[in-house]
This record gives sequence, C-alpha cells and structure tokens, in this order.
Amino acid sequence: MVKASAKSILVIDDASLVRLYYRDALERAGFQVTEAMNGLEALEKLLVEPADLLIVDVNMPKMDGLTFLKILRRQELPLAATPALVTSTESGPQDIDAARKAGANFYLVKPVAQDELAAYAAMFCGEPR
Amino acid sequence: MVFGESKRYYVDRRVTDRIAATGAQSFASYFARLRSDLNGEIEQFINAFTVNETYFYREEHQLRCLSSDLLAQRTARVDRTRTIRIWSIPCSTGEEPYSIAIWLLENWPQVDAYDIEIVGSDIDTQVLEAARSGIYGRRALMRLAPALIQKYFEPLDEDRWRVIEDLRQSVRFSPVNVVEASETRAYGQFDVIFCRNVLIYFDDASRRIAAENLFENLLPGGFICLGHTESMSRISPLFEVCRYADAIVYRRAREDADGKSVG
Repeated sequence: MVKASAKSILVIDDASLVRLYYRDALERAGFQVTEAMNGLEALEKLLVEPADLLIVDVNMPKMDGLTFLKILRRQELPLAATPALVTSTESGPQDIDAARKAGANFYLVKPVAQDELAAYAAMFCGEPR
Repeated sequence: MVFGESKRYYVDRRVTDRIAATGAQSFASYFARLRSDLNGEIEQFINAFTVNETYFYREEHQLRCLSSDLLAQRTARVDRTRTIRIWSIPCSTGEEPYSIAIWLLENWPQVDAYDIEIVGSDIDTQVLEAARSGIYGRRALMRLAPALIQKYFEPLDEDRWRVIEDLRQSVRFSPVNVVEASETRAYGQFDVIFCRNVLIYFDDASRRIAAENLFENLLPGGFICLGHTESMSRISPLFEVCRYADAIVYRRAREDADGKSVG
C-alpha cells in the first residue's frame, strides 16, 4: 500500500502498455503514480494536482513531450519547476539536445529497465518512503 | 439452448470434438453411443457446448517463445519507429490477446521501446463484446499467479475480476472471418499471428483458404503460432517450419530485393 505522503509521479506516454510498465516499476518502489496520454492531458492534470516528478515520452499525439515541456516551463512557479525525466527511443545527440532545450532535466533512452527508472525517480524526488 | 443455422460451425465443431474424443468411427456410431449414454456421454456432450471458455496463459510455452525468440527475430530487422503488430485470431472472449499483453509486460524487457499493437479478432460478435468488457471468472484466471491477478485485474465481486483499463486499452477487438480474404486483408500485415486451435475444426478446403489468407497477413519473416496439436505442414506448403526451444512455429519466408525467398 502506498502511504498518503508518498511522492507523486505523473507518467506521460501515449502507449498504455508503457504506462502500465512504468507505473508498475514506480509503484513497487513506493511512489504514487498518475497517468496522462499526451502533453495536453498532462497539463490539465498538473493544473489540478501538482506532481513531484514527470516521466515524459517524446512522440505523442495531440501534444508531444517537448512541446509540453516548453509550455510547462512558462507556467508559474512552483509548477514550472517540476523536474522532468524524458524517455525516448531516439538516442542521437541532437535529440538529447532538443530535449534539454525544451526543459528536460534528464534523458533516458528506451528500453528503460524498471529498476533503473525507479532509481532515477528516487534521485529526483527523494526516496519514496 | 437453441442453435440457428448461423451457429452451424459451432455445433459441427463440438460434435466433431466428441466423435474424436470417444474414438467413434462415424457419426452414426457416435450417435448410438450418445443415445445409450455410454460412459455418461450425454453430460460430456452438453459440456462440450457450454464449456467453451479458454483461460489466461494457455500454452504458455508459446508465449515464452514469443518473448525469447520471435520478437528478437522481428526487432533485429526493424527500426524502433515501426510498430510491432500481433494478431490473435480467433480471440474468443479475449484471454489470449490480454495474456500476450501481460506476458510482454512481465517478460520482454524491450516492452517500452516499441509501439506494440495487439489486435484480437473473432467471427462471433458476442464473444468480442465479452472480450472488450474484460470480465472473467475464477476458471479463466486459474493459471495466473495471484500477484499477476492483483496487478492486472480489479475484483468486481467474489468470483469475477475485470482487466484494468490500461490493459483493456492495449488490445483492439474486431470481427473477422478468417476464411474471407476480403475481411482479413483489411487488417494489413503482422509480425506474429496466434491462430490456435481453430484450423483443426475446418474441413481441408477451408483450412487451406484460412492458412493462405493468414499468409498474406504476415510480414515477410513474420511468424504464425498454431495450437500444439496442429501442424501447418499438413495444411499449406507456403510456410517454413521454425523450431525454437519452447515451441514449433511457422514463418513466411523473408524476401530479398528481387522478391526471391532467402529463408
């Protein structure tokens, strides 16, 4: 069971299997997880309920991950400063550079092992419990 | 129970099953056995019509083959931007396509690195409705470890569980008759097709038509998995046999630039 005070992470990915996979990894590590299917839905959710960390996919319909980050970084504090970990299948330096310029704090190339994801999440928002 | 003409295939399939199971030499000899209720055949016969559900993780060895061999073969040749397409046909009430999704989440470390499209198709629109709703009883879940049930299902009451929404979203269901090329073609080409325990119920001609349809639905180098008692070699010469540690599957040959098979 997740404690009421658990750190909360918003997983933003259009693929339901990927959301399930990351949610499983993070919940087992003790985080509280919410999901969004694209950048637009993520912005809507964050305006209602802030998160301690964002896991952001790049290629998504309606609003892709980098557009989402650019818009997020223009919001008011503290929302604008929410740490964001980008996950992508692209591993080129130009892709990583584009993510950094959009406002990413870190970049992981898929596939991301479940343990690895949980470990990086803990580095960003503190040990879950 | 009433079976109209549209359910003839359903009736044929189950009567054929019982004839085979009892070792009767003909329909007449089976019918005599049924009338005299030899070895409680009446009950067996009724069960054959009512117990048609399958279960999660059925023929698990093929799922193991999928994650350890088939997907490795398929992904060795594609770039990561292409979708990996898997077709479960017939999918009945959805246990098989949902099992594929659960299996990949649990056993394929690359699951987040590819777009995975799982399609479940069946001729019977009623079973497809049930598949979409994703509600199952104890019997369907008997092979799943409790931890998996807890992770991928939500309990509705003491005897029923529902597949969680993210998992339901990961499978697309649609009505398809596997012997109608006009219907199967519309689905494009897949990396892996699961077509288990249905071809055995067809007559030789329909079986061959179905196999040839499915051949067209495979990408070059794509695989088809049949039930463990079935053999494609007896149905159609189009496919290559592939033996892996966990299963024997069939493959559409890869083609080089000239369209020539390269095996």
